[in-house]
Amino acid sequence: MAFFSAGEELRMSAANPAAKTASLTGLMFCAPWIAGVILLFAWPFAASLYWSCCKFDIINPPEFVGLENYSRIADEVASGRGAGRAILNTLYYSLLSVPLSVVLGVSLAVLLSAKVKGQSLFRTLVFLPSIIPIVASSILWVWMLDTDTGLVNTLLGWIGVPPQNWLNQARSAISLEGAAQIGAWFSDGRLLLFGSKDALVLMTLWGVGNFVVIYLAAIGDIPNTLYEAAEIDGAGWLRRLFHVTVPMLSPVIFFNLVMGLIRSVQNFTNIYILSEGTGQPGNSLTTISLKLFLSAFADFEMGYASALAWMLFVGLVAATLLLARLSKNWVHYRGT
Amino acid sequence: MVTLVPLLMMLVGCQGWDVEQIHDSSTEEVIFWHFWGGKDSAVVNSIVQQFNNSQKEYRVRAIAMPGNNLQAKLFLAVAGGDPPDLVNQDDPVLADWAQRGVISPISKLADENEVKRLRANLFPAAERLSVVDDQLYGLCNGLDIRALFYNASALDAAGLPVPRSIEQLDSIAEHFAAPGERALRCPVGYLPDSRRLWAWGPVFGGSFYDHRTQRATIDRTGNRAALEWMRSYQRRYGADNLASFRQADQSLPGKTFPLLPIAEDDDVGRYVALMDGQWRVRDIVAFQKQRKQLGKSAPQFDVCPLPFPDADKDGVPDGEARRNAGWVNGNCFVVPAGAKCPRGAWEFAKFWVGLRDADRAAQWYIEGGWIPPTQEVTATKAFQKYLEAAPLFRTFVELASSENQFPVPAVPGAAALKREVEALAWDTLMLPMDDQQLDRRVEQCQREVDSYLKGDR
Repeated sequence: MAFFSAGEELRMSAANPAAKTASLTGLMFCAPWIAGVILLFAWPFAASLYWSCCKFDIINPPEFVGLENYSRIADEVASGRGAGRAILNTLYYSLLSVPLSVVLGVSLAVLLSAKVKGQSLFRTLVFLPSIIPIVASSILWVWMLDTDTGLVNTLLGWIGVPPQNWLNQARSAISLEGAAQIGAWFSDGRLLLFGSKDALVLMTLWGVGNFVVIYLAAIGDIPNTLYEAAEIDGAGWLRRLFHVTVPMLSPVIFFNLVMGLIRSVQNFTNIYILSEGTGQPGNSLTTISLKLFLSAFADFEMGYASALAWMLFVGLVAATLLLARLSKNWVHYRGT
Repeated sequence: MVTLVPLLMMLVGCQGWDVEQIHDSSTEEVIFWHFWGGKDSAVVNSIVQQFNNSQKEYRVRAIAMPGNNLQAKLFLAVAGGDPPDLVNQDDPVLADWAQRGVISPISKLADENEVKRLRANLFPAAERLSVVDDQLYGLCNGLDIRALFYNASALDAAGLPVPRSIEQLDSIAEHFAAPGERALRCPVGYLPDSRRLWAWGPVFGGSFYDHRTQRATIDRTGNRAALEWMRSYQRRYGADNLASFRQADQSLPGKTFPLLPIAEDDDVGRYVALMDGQWRVRDIVAFQKQRKQLGKSAPQFDVCPLPFPDADKDGVPDGEARRNAGWVNGNCFVVPAGAKCPRGAWEFAKFWVGLRDADRAAQWYIEGGWIPPTQEVTATKAFQKYLEAAPLFRTFVELASSENQFPVPAVPGAAALKREVEALAWDTLMLPMDDQQLDRRVEQCQREVDSYLKGDR
């Protein structure tokens, strides 16, 4: 079979009318897709880049303001208000939920790969939350996180943890205040640790089943000979896990890390439902995605929202590149 | 083919018949977007039908549009060149919409005398909701007034007076939940709500905007006094106690009014006193009716204007605290720019608020349990008779005529102003702050709002 470059094909089609017709027919078939990409992807992409340098409210024509929107974002980042606050909230959520999803996902996959009675049932139970519509699961979580009657506080109560104000407090467990609270727990039995961002992390972990399926497939792909060799070398269960399973899973872990990061930064629906579209309590749920939405469709600052979107895009690309660079140190591809 | 042709003919015939039935060629269609549902939608449909039957020039077609993101839908409709002719909305967005050219001023549709008559007739709060820069941009069609509901039987049993002052309200709170309690239990006497600084600010003599200087006034003494009073509740019970008790209100089935007892044998609900709007009168009436049907006695409920602060004790400058003050919002008709039948929209709006026939309008305001925006309708015999039979509702109608009922000011950036003021109140209730920290937070809020209102954002 011969392969030709596009230039060669064009030259050939210019010389050969039949080939020209075939190329045109091919292009005609591709036209809807090309038109779709131009209209629904390339054009909005370019337009949003232009709008990010404009003051624009949909109704009136965009007014070019240069880098004003970006400079406003920089000011807000410096002051920790507005977009700055949204970035901090997003970072907290992403840096907590993504690694925890990986650890929980791998742990569950390892457990679910064990050949025990009822394996399919356990696998189904773990995967089930992932197929529940996000709106329904968010409403369910609002009930489960209720301070007085919620299941989560009831379970915490069984291990001696006092009720937490999951949805009504802006505090974060991983913070200086959180550390002080743990001290207070030991001294007077009071523990006010978790807030709305932690609730969001908990919700994300509940939907880890999607990742577990990928890990399970990858675990199934690990050659048995590696485990046999490790066993002959005297490796116990834990050693086999950390020296065979985890390294062999590392490409999939890397993939899930990147996808999880993108998903966490773009997370919107459950945040919108939990905070009733306001980012409250105390702006603790104002993440970049919600801030972008509110700026665009509540305040009608399309220019500022576009600048936020571009900042988000550049940030995600940079984070992905960084992860890819770091992956050379810990991701092991079979045969390399 | 033999079957297809008659089928097509039937379809065309049906279509033609349908169009003829709905549109008379001489009738202009008025597209009306509203967000009413449930019981209210029946009243709305009845008003629409009565209007359509009352004249032959216009025919209103009501479209129920969920309130969420109405603004985005309207903007896109206006930008796309196919807006509705009339929109009902209840957010503080009138000035923003006017400034962006999304809506047309009413003066374009109504003659000068009509506007004069209307403005003279509107309650002060209804006028504040309808006017931007001294120009009528909307027509308020109903007011939402807040007042203090209380369980009169519970207060009697506890030997406590009806709360007329802040001190009395605080006594009710402390009687039912002693300060320092680690977990608030039902019933709680009273708890402030961070969304209601808009109501308590004016009561304490504050205001959030000065129309003369065109500047936000978050840092006014009265607002600061109201914030301090709200903070006193955090000091009494702790932020987490307040937050968890409030959250449990949201978990009540079917948005139950938390003042009402939940169990059949209870006489007190989650609160003994609670600020809420006139629509709760219906809930109380329904509750009492239900108790009667069960053959059980029902506690007595009543409502009063928001209690009044004391100049010396509550940090309010002399003479600034206001009686019958509070926060009001309401529904407003607006005519979008580019509407195809703005005249028809205006005729329907006038019909609704009773400018054409106040007696007739009184009927649907009674049926809906709505507060009319004009004196003309509340003064009708039918409405007065209704008030005699519904004394709780009367308090709200009386408050409607007060000069001290303030909405979020109709200025560009009002939505951001509302959001920032509520965030300030939330921080005051939920975060431990000393006086200096509170001052700094107020200053920060003032700066934020200033930048929004100046159009820097």
